[in-house]
Amino acid sequence: MKKIIVLLLTAIMSLSSCEKDDICDANTPTTPRLIIEFYDISNPSVLKNVTNLKVIGEGMTEGIIFNPNSTDESQYLTNGNKIAIPLKTDGDTTSYNFILNSGNPNPILTDTDKVTFNYSRADVFVSRACGFKTLFKFNGNNAIEHTAVPATRPKWMQYISVEKSNIDNENETHIKVFF
Amino acid sequence: MKHTLKYFFSIGLLMSLSFVQAQDTIPKTNTPEKNKTEGVIPEAPKKAVTKTATTAKTDTVVPVKKDRYGLRVGVDLYKLTRGLWDSNYKGIELVGDYRLTKNYYAAAELGSEDKTTEDDRLNTTTKGTYIKVGFDYNAYENWLDMENIISLGLRAGFSTFNQELNSYRIYNPHPYWGEMPWITSGETFNGLTAGWIEVVAGVKVKVFNNVFVGFSVRLNTLVYDKKPSEDFENLYIPGFNRTYAGNFGAGFNYTVTYFVPLYKKTVKPKEEKKKK
Repeated sequence: MKKIIVLLLTAIMSLSSCEKDDICDANTPTTPRLIIEFYDISNPSVLKNVTNLKVIGEGMTEGIIFNPNSTDESQYLTNGNKIAIPLKTDGDTTSYNFILNSGNPNPILTDTDKVTFNYSRADVFVSRACGFKTLFKFNGNNAIEHTAVPATRPKWMQYISVEKSNIDNENETHIKVFF
Repeated sequence: MKHTLKYFFSIGLLMSLSFVQAQDTIPKTNTPEKNKTEGVIPEAPKKAVTKTATTAKTDTVVPVKKDRYGLRVGVDLYKLTRGLWDSNYKGIELVGDYRLTKNYYAAAELGSEDKTTEDDRLNTTTKGTYIKVGFDYNAYENWLDMENIISLGLRAGFSTFNQELNSYRIYNPHPYWGEMPWITSGETFNGLTAGWIEVVAGVKVKVFNNVFVGFSVRLNTLVYDKKPSEDFENLYIPGFNRTYAGNFGAGFNYTVTYFVPLYKKTVKPKEEKKKK
């Protein structure tokens, strides 16, 4: 009985030292990004890599960093077939310029398309450490507005398909772009 | 037995030291001379006790002693004073116990709390009342007319409260569009309840006459709680304190109590126990 008390006391003393456990685990699903995959327009079931794609949010000066290991301009460029871009959590529209062949010395080869995503938001509680996350839902009638920049140029994206209208996690593809 | 006794006295002395310090803050109305003498008292009898322990064993002379039975009521000083320095907290806890047998005490705590919790991404206010009912087992063998207690006990706790989400922040691991500011909510969740079990380890020392000071530490296990909504959870429960993952909690109190003696019982001599 007496030993139990001593054990309990020491246990409690040691427990009091580890109160601060409020670090949000990086693996916790929080605010998801928009997942876009690129497909070949001539063979729609086949993924197609983009060449030096740079994505800049409207009103921003710097693009989304796709290669965190690089330090120069190449950190903003991707040559893959899948990207993840963050949507605004304080507004219901987010616009991005998608610049293909970015940095090409011949400006005729550089194509820019502007895509505006329209959605509604819901703030959902995650945990004490992580706070809340924002989930998105594309508007039913005008989820996407797509223009070329400048408008006289042809759009390099030939077709944009909304695969998932609910953006709840990053495990699924929400948008497919055919070019 | 000797070893455990030694262990016990050392803990008792350690605890009494903290009480001696604490006493200075309590009886400020007394003259400084009185304070000094009272401050030394709890240590002095213990030294004498260790001597009598050895003499009692060799001589096997058991003094006739009477145990006092009665009701002890008081207040948790920590909760009461915390509001003075913590603007996010208001609370009070009344404590009481009633001596049932030589070693068993029926014990209860009754309290009310109003606490605002500021986390990194959440700001919530919890208001409510709670009651804890259970027992304490006094594992301390008192000598002569000492009435100190080193106890281990159990409580069943129940709380009814409400929780208000004052403001929150969105967690965004990819802050391309910049860090988002706090969002004001003000959503209130009423009619929340929770129940839990507490293991209590405590000490009570008689400082003078019928006045005791006590300290207890508690480990809580949440048995059930009514969640604010499907997505939200109770971040603080009055009486239970902050919730942790795995329904675990911890707490303590620091009490001053007054003992109301009701009747006396003669302590049976120890020899009877030995025969059994």
